[in-house]
Amino acid sequence: MDIIVCVKRVPDTSEADVVITGKDIKKDDLPFEINEWDNYAVEEAVQLKEKFGGTITVISVGDEDANEVIRRGLAMGADEGVRIYDPAIEGSDGVTIAKILAAAIKNMKYDLILTGAQAGDLGEGIVPVALAEMLGIPHATLVTGLEIQDGKAKVKRELEGGLMEVLEIDLPAVIGIQTGINEPRYVSIMGIRKASKKEIKLLGLGDIGLTPEDVGEAGSLTVLEELSVPPVTKVAEIIEGDPAEAASKLAEILKEQGVL
Amino acid sequence: MSEIFVLAEHRNGELRDVTFEMLSGARNLADKMGATVTAVLLGSGVNEMAEKLKSYANKVLVVDDPKLENFNAEIYQKVLSKLIKDHKPVVTLIGHTAFGMDLAPALAVELGLPLATDCIDLDAVDGRLVVTRQIYSGKVNAKVALKGDQFIATVRSGAFSIEEGALNGEIVTESVTIEDVPYRRFLGYEEAEVGEVDITQADYIVSVGRAIKDQENIPLVQELADVLGGVLACSRPVVDKNWLPKDRQVGSSGKIVKPKLYLAIGISGAFQHVAGMKDSGLIVAINKDPKAPIFNVADYGIVDDLFKVVPVLKEKIKEIKG
Amino acid sequence: MDFELTEEQKDIAKAAREFAEGEFDKDYAMECDQEHKFPRELVRKAGELGFIGVHYPEEYGGAGLGALENALIVEEMCRVDSTLGLCIALPDFGCEIIKWFGTEEQKKKYLPKVCSGEWISAGIFTEPDHGSDITELSTTAVKDGDEWVINGTKTFITNGEIADFGVILVQTDPDAKPKYRGMSTFIVEKDCWEAADVGSKMGIRATSTAELSFDNARVPEENLVGELNRGFYQVLEFFDESRIEIAAQALGTAEAAFDRTMEYIKQRELHGKKLAEFQITRHKIADMATKIEAAKLLTYKAAWNFDNGRRIDPVLTSMAKWFAARTAVEVADEAIQLHGGYGYITEYEVERIYRDAKITEIYEGTREVQKNTIASGLIGKL
Repeated sequence: MDIIVCVKRVPDTSEADVVITGKDIKKDDLPFEINEWDNYAVEEAVQLKEKFGGTITVISVGDEDANEVIRRGLAMGADEGVRIYDPAIEGSDGVTIAKILAAAIKNMKYDLILTGAQAGDLGEGIVPVALAEMLGIPHATLVTGLEIQDGKAKVKRELEGGLMEVLEIDLPAVIGIQTGINEPRYVSIMGIRKASKKEIKLLGLGDIGLTPEDVGEAGSLTVLEELSVPPVTKVAEIIEGDPAEAASKLAEILKEQGVL
Repeated sequence: MSEIFVLAEHRNGELRDVTFEMLSGARNLADKMGATVTAVLLGSGVNEMAEKLKSYANKVLVVDDPKLENFNAEIYQKVLSKLIKDHKPVVTLIGHTAFGMDLAPALAVELGLPLATDCIDLDAVDGRLVVTRQIYSGKVNAKVALKGDQFIATVRSGAFSIEEGALNGEIVTESVTIEDVPYRRFLGYEEAEVGEVDITQADYIVSVGRAIKDQENIPLVQELADVLGGVLACSRPVVDKNWLPKDRQVGSSGKIVKPKLYLAIGISGAFQHVAGMKDSGLIVAINKDPKAPIFNVADYGIVDDLFKVVPVLKEKIKEIKG
Repeated sequence: MDFELTEEQKDIAKAAREFAEGEFDKDYAMECDQEHKFPRELVRKAGELGFIGVHYPEEYGGAGLGALENALIVEEMCRVDSTLGLCIALPDFGCEIIKWFGTEEQKKKYLPKVCSGEWISAGIFTEPDHGSDITELSTTAVKDGDEWVINGTKTFITNGEIADFGVILVQTDPDAKPKYRGMSTFIVEKDCWEAADVGSKMGIRATSTAELSFDNARVPEENLVGELNRGFYQVLEFFDESRIEIAAQALGTAEAAFDRTMEYIKQRELHGKKLAEFQITRHKIADMATKIEAAKLLTYKAAWNFDNGRRIDPVLTSMAKWFAARTAVEVADEAIQLHGGYGYITEYEVERIYRDAKITEIYEGTREVQKNTIASGLIGKL
């Protein structure tokens, strides 16, 4: 089975002070990593390959820095890496990123495409479902369980309230992977050694039959206008002091509030 | 007069809250755009639901067909795209839910319409839709403008509060020929396994997030829950890492809880989590990051390392409780 | 001149960090520290992923990489946790001697098992009467037929109680003048010695440090490593390489103290102001960061020099080891100072980091020994 996994390199803002500069945030000091959802997608692909054989191609849209997450995918067990880039892609919205991926993927051989259900930076959740529509193949997103049998995928989609939707779709298909579907492995030194011997194929817009007008702000139907710090609607009363003091004060407050 | 479509979301015969939230939000938007609000209800045997929607919309557009009984993104897409082509609504709103996420992007691509997802606010500027959405784990708001004259947006659960409707929309039924989609078959719903603890019934909840770092540290917070006479719950990453079972998860993809006390420990407060606990009586958060969004829903907060605070807190509560 | 690490080197550092962040647990580290417990399972896991012994050739279970890649792993691991990180760095202790001087059979038998995390080795050099000075030894090996018979006592042997085997330096020619021209190294397996813990240590308490007694221990001729009577020189060369690893340990430990401090000063408030706003704090942070950067450059340069086939430069490796170790102790000291009373409490980690840092100024050559090496290299014979 030949699998394509789409990955994205994102800044980790979970513990950082985010500083807005124009239409972006300051990223120089932020650690970057593979999008968490994509990491689960790569692991899922590697487990499928271990079971059924075949190849895995990791693909990413982005500048040279994106190679880092492609190499990570190769180190986890993927066979080939592809990066698509042109300066014109800056400012592309989610649908346009899907368009770029579709243009590259339609000429490739695949039985299954895996992506993260969403990305930790922009959180749009557009790519898997839009990509499937463009390629004219079935899809399912927010998938927390995946079984492949007889050219079909039995998937469990995570709904709200702890409910799962179970469905069967024909392959090839695009599956948007939800976190928790598996336990992603660590990158091993042996994996890194293998990955560093592989060349990552670079595709420009011309290689995939697109022009600069098709991508970026020009090719997108949505445009980012402005970033701002979310207005604070409510702020917790912060209990000051060292941990022991604060904990004691909190215990008193809980008593006063009648919850103890 | 142009219309705003709001796709009604329902499961097992029940309309979901997000439907009424969107209809409430759509009314404001409709005023700005000089449009009317149409609730679009696709399903099988949905008369009762249609009646419920009447007071929230100027019109309830119903397609009633056995093939629409269970949500199937591909079938819904076919019906919805036909309705949009026929009626040309200026805006189509869909919930940013497991249902909407599986549907909206494909619909937008098929129709060639702009799509903004997970919106928390909707505005109209010169007849265009301008949305607000949150990026970078809720730390930044982004204003996004949609091009053209027809738009699709998915709306975050809880983004709008439900305002009782005073309208009396007409119920209009249309029939649409629905092709089969043999390549996607609905097999059923599955409930997550239920363990020995039902967190939705607890008065006191100690809830723990990613910052607990390791399964070996779970007893630390379990003990705090025990001292309080409450139960231990958690946010999504803890379940993803298998440190606690799925039935302990609070949030939109887990359980909705309303305890007297919700003690959020090492939880950053992603909106999916907040959606599951924001109506708790007293909310207390302990987190190292003073900018964590959890402090915007909590009543009290301690900005510090949970590993330093929790042991002392446990002892103090023990003392007070005697 | 290019100060950039290669992509592969960056990937390696990142992978080591991910592993450490995922697997190291503060409470477990405290437990290992307090209860003097070696994290055996963690070492096995690290070995399976290839984090142990990357600087051994691939045919012997390593990754065919160099001292720099090994240093990057050790640094990252120690940066996440000085106590547990060190335990991942130590299992191959002494094996570089087998790598450089051993026979094909020796390399095949011992190195792969060490690199995979299954076996642990020990470098058995120091003696109670002679300390770090290995120009004189009391431990002897006497030939008896096809075997050598070893007698004597070695002390402060890292991994002593947990090692599966080790490389021992012994006197094989008692008449050699000077004595060090009659020393040889042998591979000894754990049934050759009796190990006794040296007692409660200040830091690196998760590791075993033991006294090993050899009482008529017999090893076959094939366990001789390299040429007879060349052991002293082998061990000196070993130290030239291993000092780089200790420098990396010190560097990572310094960074560990620094990271904890940065987090603390941004959080802790005094008189309504964050600690980080006080000029005295800011200057201390500037001092710490500058020293760490200098230690990093020296350590990386020593490693790079070693890997790029230059003449082994004991002056440079000693400088790196001495300076990085001093930096670790100074930075950890300031870290405690900035934490105030809390810095003295176990819960806040910096006290453990401080205790873990101190050893780097002592083992594998005290800072005085390093200075001797640097000075002899520079001044030469008068």
